[in-house]
This record gives sequence, structure tokens and C-alpha cells, in this order.
Amino acid sequence: MIAEFLELALFLSIFVLILFGFPVAFTLAGTALAFAVLGDWLGVFQLRQLNFLPQRIFAIMSNEVLIAAPMFIFMGLVLERSRIAADLLTSMAKLFRGMRGGLALSVVVVGMLMAASTGIVGATVVTMGLIALPVMLRAGYDPRLATGTICASGTLGQVIPPSIVLVFLGDVLTYANQQANLKSGNFAGKSVGVGDLFAGSLIPGLVLVGLYALYIMIVAWARPAMAPVPPPTAEEAAMTPGARLRLLAHGLLPPGILIVAVLGSILSGIATPTEAAGVGAVGALMLAAMRARPGFAPVLRAGVAAALGLMVINGFFDLLILRDDFSGLERVMLRLAFALTGLVAVAVLAACWALHSARQLAPVVQQTGLITAMIFAVLVGASLFALVFRGLGGEETVHHMLESLPGGLTGAMIFVMLLMFVMGFFLDFLEIIFILVPIVGPILILMGAGPVWLGVMIAVNLQTSFLTPPFGFALFFLRGAAPASVRTMDIYRGVLPFIGLQLVGLALIALFPALATWLPDYLFSK
Amino acid sequence: MRTLDRIVGLLDALTAWIGRAFSWLTLFMVLMTFANVVLRYVFGLSIVAAYETVVYAFGIVLTGVAGWTLLTDQHVRIDVFYGRMSGRAQAWVNVVGTVIFLVPLLYVVASRSWGYVGRSWKMRETSNEIAGLDYLYVLKSFMLVFVVVLAIQGLAFFLRNLRVLILGGEIRGPAPGNLPAPPPGEDMAGAAQPERGRP
Repeated sequence: MIAEFLELALFLSIFVLILFGFPVAFTLAGTALAFAVLGDWLGVFQLRQLNFLPQRIFAIMSNEVLIAAPMFIFMGLVLERSRIAADLLTSMAKLFRGMRGGLALSVVVVGMLMAASTGIVGATVVTMGLIALPVMLRAGYDPRLATGTICASGTLGQVIPPSIVLVFLGDVLTYANQQANLKSGNFAGKSVGVGDLFAGSLIPGLVLVGLYALYIMIVAWARPAMAPVPPPTAEEAAMTPGARLRLLAHGLLPPGILIVAVLGSILSGIATPTEAAGVGAVGALMLAAMRARPGFAPVLRAGVAAALGLMVINGFFDLLILRDDFSGLERVMLRLAFALTGLVAVAVLAACWALHSARQLAPVVQQTGLITAMIFAVLVGASLFALVFRGLGGEETVHHMLESLPGGLTGAMIFVMLLMFVMGFFLDFLEIIFILVPIVGPILILMGAGPVWLGVMIAVNLQTSFLTPPFGFALFFLRGAAPASVRTMDIYRGVLPFIGLQLVGLALIALFPALATWLPDYLFSK
Repeated sequence: MRTLDRIVGLLDALTAWIGRAFSWLTLFMVLMTFANVVLRYVFGLSIVAAYETVVYAFGIVLTGVAGWTLLTDQHVRIDVFYGRMSGRAQAWVNVVGTVIFLVPLLYVVASRSWGYVGRSWKMRETSNEIAGLDYLYVLKSFMLVFVVVLAIQGLAFFLRNLRVLILGGEIRGPAPGNLPAPPPGEDMAGAAQPERGRP
């Protein structure tokens, strides 16, 4: 009797036990082990199955997709400290505060651009809470509109690529998809990777941006008192169009370059997400170094110019050096390319040195190491859990349960989405992705869900969950950054309309899966 | 008691030193990946061994920094309730959790991977790729490093919390020297610290 329900008991025990607050990774592992021993004793599990553990752990250690994660984290932390978001926000706000709802729209646009260049959510919410919120409140914005806009825009980083959530989700779904293909005997099934998920989430992310913007414009038009237009200051009135343009360029250029470098190279198929993460991180290092140590700017600019030069030469000449039939011109170009590469290398090292001397490198490096190790521990715990859960027959149980729900795939999706939404109140995205998705993913894909579509739905759903009071973590971040005059209740009520918009977005993606699947199909089907 | 504190202090310092040293491999990963990209896309060179150094660095960071992550309390916790508990209750959670969750985990990883790593050493396991790095057995050994660094800090963590249970008071965080480098200057990174690593 007990033996039959052991896997469900394991699942429930974990959710009770992690609430005590001991590190999740260890709670997961320890609980799974206890159930393994119990299962062995009851004859429904064999402890021998734990011998697979070292292979699983080593598979994590040598997982080439996960390598992208620490590099994206590194990039995000560098940008976070370089005040790029702050500068962008300040210049956008100066330019657009004269427009109806302009300040709120600026926040949405900055949220989108930061999401497309980093993907670290907490930092964006805090930055905007510290910089944009006071400006909006002084301008007479309704605190609810202001806080809701900031929370929603600040969490876009989860959905808009390159997002760390999507890296992990992509890795898990790749595996889930393989399993589903194996089970259905579809050996020629398409493989799905992080790149597909990045491409798939771009349009849905922009749809969300559009929904926010539309909502803000409607509110600003229908209830002007909620989003008043402040009179321009003398400084702003005196600005020439040229000065405005320069201000905008100053703010837009750095994230713009990074977006082109990272997203552009992934979406055009030039680079894998891992490679793009490395390039993006180096780009962020250079940008941050320019700000931290303006004295180094000439070297850094030369390095950027050299990199661009390399791309140009590469576009016109064949520089593959493993051959010996070079024409005269090619020989010259090759020498030039060597010189430019050297210059790039010098500039990158100079950037590291500049940041190090500004005491900005060590914190980033150490924080990245800490977060990476934290994620690994969760992965080890989750794979131990998965090993035991599967061994106890949990997979079949879940399969039967999902299939017995009314409505086929739709019913199963609604159930899983609701489950994740509620889990998102208590759990980090890491646990949800590593515990729940490996179990339900293959089954949902077998039932007919497209892996990319499934991933995008999960990402948007989790973003919504993290916005939802009273536990949504974006709200905690903003509470920490908001002035005391903003009541917590204002923040809670402010996000409600945006949660509604998220649900509209989810419904749109559910009804029109092409929103998620068209771009990856178009880009990568060639 | 003073001897005990000194032991905890030593374990903490060792943990922090190891963690901080291994963390720099993240910078290496970034630079090496960038170099590989340049070599591949400009000169058509892909050096398998150079690429594999990134994988090795990744494996080493993952495992080697785990102890420091415990010391700096960055292993993600669900703090809905934990955050509101008294120091004594938190110490209870930590002491009991270490015994019933962490110790079994470390025991199982150690016992199961001992033979796995040993076999790899015996045959001096090399890369699956031609011209790859031939130190796969070293990389696999880091599974045991994971156990060792967590065991070292786990012991310190246990003693630190036990001290609170016996003598009362609050759980002392790590000494400042054992924390990650503080964020520079006046910027708002303090508040923006990706709390518990939530990207």
C-alpha cells in the first residue's frame, strides 16, 4: 500500500521539507535518499540504481550548454555594475517625459533593452526602482501604475533572450524532447536547443512589451491624472534636436551593441549560445571598463575598431590559415588580421586590468563563481531526486495522471501551468525547471506540445508567477528599492493589471503557437 | 569553546580561500571562449584542446566553489518561513538539516563516485575527442573535491549553528575576510545583489 504511493509521498515530502528553509539542493538530495532507502526496504527500489549518480554528476560538469550560464551571469553582473541601465533610463526619461505616459513607456523600453542585453532580473527591477520610481512619483504618477510598470518591465529579462531561465529550460527541454522522440519511436525527430528557444521567445517577449505599452497609453489617455505630463524644465526646453539625439545615442549605444553582438550572432546562426555568451561577456567587460576608467578608452576603442576591422576583412577574404595557396593580397590581409587580432587581445586584457584596478572585477568573478556553484548543487540534488523518483515509478504515475485529465493536451497544459504558477510563489525558477519540467516535459511533448512552444509558455508563466502578490520575488526586489512613501499595498495592486496582461499574452501564445514557433522555424530550418 | 571557534575560523578561511581562487576560472572561461570564437570565425581554426579547457574550468568552478557558497549562505533557501524564524530556530534547521540531508548526500556522492573516479585514474582516461585534453581523470576527480570542500565547510557550518543552540545568540555570518569582495563604492549593487542568485 505505502509502496505504491511512495513516489507521490516523495514529491509531497520535498515540498513540505524545503519550506523549513534548509538549502534546497541538500533537502532535495537528502529526502530523495531517505526514500531510496525506504523503497529498497519495501522492495520497490534498488539502491544499486544510485550507482548511476556519478555519471549523472559528470554529465552536468561537462554539459556544453550549461557552460553558457556562468558566462551570461558574468555578463549580467558586469553590466549591472557599469550603470548602463541607469544611464539609459536617465536619458530616455529626459527625452520622453513630455509625452503622455512617456515616463512609464521609457521604463518599458529600458526594461526591454536590458532584458535583451543581460537577463538578470533582480538587478533591472532594483535599478528602475531606484532611478525611475522617484522621477515618476515626483511627476505625479499614480504609485500603482509606476510600480506595476517597473515590476513587469523589469522581469522581461526572463522571457526575452538571452535569458538564463531560457538556457536552463532549453537544456532540460532538449533532453525531454529526445526522450519523447525515443518513446514515440520517432528517431528522426527534430532536436531542439537553446538557440531555438531563444528565437522562439523573442516575438512573445515583444508581444508582452506591446501589451504593456498599449495598456500604459490607454491609461494615460483615459485617466490623465494617473500619468500627468510634467512641465519641461528649463534645461530640457533649451535642448536642440541634435542634443536630444546625442543623449539618446549615448544611452542606447552600449546595450545596442551588445544586443546585436549576442542576439544577432545566435539568431543568425553564426554562434552557439555558449559562444555568444563569451563574446557578450567580453563586450560587457569593454563597455564597463570604458566607464570605470575613461583613461583606458583609447586602447579599448582601438580594440573595438580592430574587431570590426577583422569582421570586414573576414567578409571579403578567405583567412582560413590551414592551407598554403595564399595569393599575394591574401597574404597581406592575413598579416593585417594577425595584427588586428593582437590589438583586440591587448584591448581585452586592458579592459580586464582597468576593471580590476577599479575594484570591479573581483566582485563579479566571485559572485559568478558562487552563483554557478549554487546552481550545480541544485542540479546534483535534482538529478538525485529524478533518479529516485523514476526508480520508484513516478514517471508512469505522472503520465497516467496527466493523460486522465479531461481535455487531452489542453487539460494537461492547464494543469501543469497552474501547478508551476503556484510553485513559483515558493520556489526559484531553478527548482521548477530542474524538478518539474524533466518529469512533465516528455509527457506533454508526447501528447503533442511543441518543445519550443512549451518552453515559451513555461517562461512566460514563471514570469507571471514572479509578479504575483504576495510572494512574487519581483515585488520584494521593488519593495527593497522603493521609497517608504510607496505602500506595499500600492505595489501589490499596481501589478494586478500587468498580471492580467501576462495572462492575455499567455492566452495569445496558447492560441497562436506560431508566435513562438515561426521565428525558429524560419531561422533554423534551412 | 575558544579552540572550537578557532577551528571554525580556520575551516572558514580555508573554504573562502579555495572558493575565491577557483572563482577566477569564470574569467578564464569568458576569455578563452572569446579567443576560441575569434580563432574559429576569423582563421577557421578550432583547437579542441583549447575548447576543452573551458569545459574543464566550468567543471572545476561548479564543484570547487560549493563550500564557499555554503559559507556565504548563497545556496538557495526557501525563506518564506526561515526568514521569519528566530536565530535559535534557524540554527535548529541548519543543525538538523546538515545531519539528515547534507551528510547522506556527501556520503552517497563520495561512496558512489570513488570507484567511478578510481577506474578513470587507473586507465588514465583521455578525451573522447581526437586532440582533446587528456586529463579526464583529473576532471572527474573534482566530484570528490566537491565532497571535500562541502565536508570542510559543512563541519564548520554545523559547529557554528550548534554553538548558537548551546550558547544562544545569533548565527554569526562569515568573517568579512571570507566574504566575496564588496561591491565598489556607492553604487546600488548592495541592494541589487542578485539575492540568492536569482537571475
